[in-house]
Amino acid sequence: MNTYVRLTYRNLRANLDFASLFFELIFPIFFIFVEGPGLGGLLKSGVPITPTLTVPYQLYLAAGAVTLTVINGGTNAGTQLWYDRKNGMFEQLLMGPFSRAQYIFSIILATLIIGIAGSLIVFLIALPILGGGIQITPEGVFFVGAALFLGTLLFGSFAIALSVVLRSSETFQIVSTFTFFVFLFTSSVFYPASQAPPIIKQVSYGNPLTWTTDMFRAGLFQSFTSTLTIEVIVLTIVAGIVFGIAVIAFRRIRVS
Amino acid sequence: MSTEIAISVANLEKRFSDKVAVDSVNFEVKRGEVFGFLGPNGAGKTTTIKMLTTLIPPSGGSASILDYDLRTQARRIREKIGVVQQQDSFDQGLKVEKCMDIYGLIWDMPANERRKRITELVERFGMDEFRKKQTIDLSAGQRRRLQVAREFMHDMDLLFLDEPTVGLDPIARRSVLNYFKEKVEKEGLTIFFTTHILEEAEYLCQRIAIINHGKIIEIDSPENLKRRFGRAKAVEFKLSEGMSAQLSTELERSDSITKIVQDQENGSYKISTLKPELVIPEVYRISDRLGLHISSIYVSETTLEDAFVSLVGNSNEEIVRQGAQS
Repeated sequence: MNTYVRLTYRNLRANLDFASLFFELIFPIFFIFVEGPGLGGLLKSGVPITPTLTVPYQLYLAAGAVTLTVINGGTNAGTQLWYDRKNGMFEQLLMGPFSRAQYIFSIILATLIIGIAGSLIVFLIALPILGGGIQITPEGVFFVGAALFLGTLLFGSFAIALSVVLRSSETFQIVSTFTFFVFLFTSSVFYPASQAPPIIKQVSYGNPLTWTTDMFRAGLFQSFTSTLTIEVIVLTIVAGIVFGIAVIAFRRIRVS
Repeated sequence: MSTEIAISVANLEKRFSDKVAVDSVNFEVKRGEVFGFLGPNGAGKTTTIKMLTTLIPPSGGSASILDYDLRTQARRIREKIGVVQQQDSFDQGLKVEKCMDIYGLIWDMPANERRKRITELVERFGMDEFRKKQTIDLSAGQRRRLQVAREFMHDMDLLFLDEPTVGLDPIARRSVLNYFKEKVEKEGLTIFFTTHILEEAEYLCQRIAIINHGKIIEIDSPENLKRRFGRAKAVEFKLSEGMSAQLSTELERSDSITKIVQDQENGSYKISTLKPELVIPEVYRISDRLGLHISSIYVSETTLEDAFVSLVGNSNEEIVRQGAQS
């Protein structure tokens, strides 16, 4: 069996905290079925996605909540690494028949599986709400797939880099929760960046989670804008850079 | 073609900033040999193991492991070795059997072989009662047994054991040591072994290297180390009358006695000496003169621990002396 498959399977079996995974799924579902309908009553005119397309808030938020799973999945990458460091498996695996690169790729692969599978589960659960508003086209599937893949890669790599820099699992949990909280609330997951006050708008336009969410919504609602291609290119480049940083940081982890 | 040497180390060095953890060490380990690597805390044992297992790069020198170069063929080395680390190492989200199974899987062992080995190892390491438990719920001793057993889920030519019996009770410890011995005798496994329990080293190792302050100070068989460095034997005895201060004073004047220790709790005397054949008549003579009666007397053999303490003690004195001169 291929080394990456073996290590990825091991990461999924050994390091997944099912209680955390459960709550990672519950949060988006809560937004879709509670917050969306609740705030939908206040925002009766809906939310503009493009100058020509406005969707009900519940639908807008449901799409955003699916990408929320991507960022949650990303934190799993750092958690996997921290579990291995805390439990002595990091050194043990590095003395096994693998390279450091294979080990970090296996964590990324496990994270992609978690992030994409989680998003699909949330997507399927949200289908009754999303169902009426979405159209399935090859172009749309490409953007949805690319958003989930690039978003998970970027936030997973970011979490790995963070977990390498921070010196305890507790600090990692606190810092990653806070950082992802900032990413989340300055993105277009909950509100359109174009409608936000100037400072928040600027931050949101520079937030990779906004690009991920915009790509995902574009794929779902066929709302392709002129800036979408730029967002895809930038997200790909940034995901690649962050992944590179994670690999370099990981290779430099000092063994105690 | 493989040579008869499993590990060959030449001037191997590891520096951390300005601290030299391993200072130009040289040694060879033959295939099928159990090689002990002993030293006090912080002597450089674990750092040496980490270098030899490719976990950290050496700062200088060279080494060949199973005929592969340490610097350029690290991956090939890792495919052929097993390592039981000093620190705990376990997958926290798994049950014991699954933990062993997945460990075998990542080493690419076939499923039927994994099943066979789990059954064998669970029995040999006495893990039946906790085989279905989550690893996170195991006691320290149970977790250590799992860690050692798990390493035998894959094939290897060379096994590094860094204090593998820490936390094990005496019965489990003996059982684990016997398993190692069996693997060496039946399958020709080579073992590089560190421990602080010197009886273990004596039981298992054909040769022992003693390292202190990063330098190897001696390499020899346990018997030779005891003979060469375990200089003093001990004469132990008890009096029917209990302890006697006068007897101690008189004995201390004797030329053949190096040191006398009184164990108040046990009511016994222990005399360190190079010549027990001279000390025993002396003890009887002085006791008779003082009207005391010896209830028991025997000569205790020198141990590896005596040799170890003597060697490390001399080495420390030498370092202090060199420091004072410079």
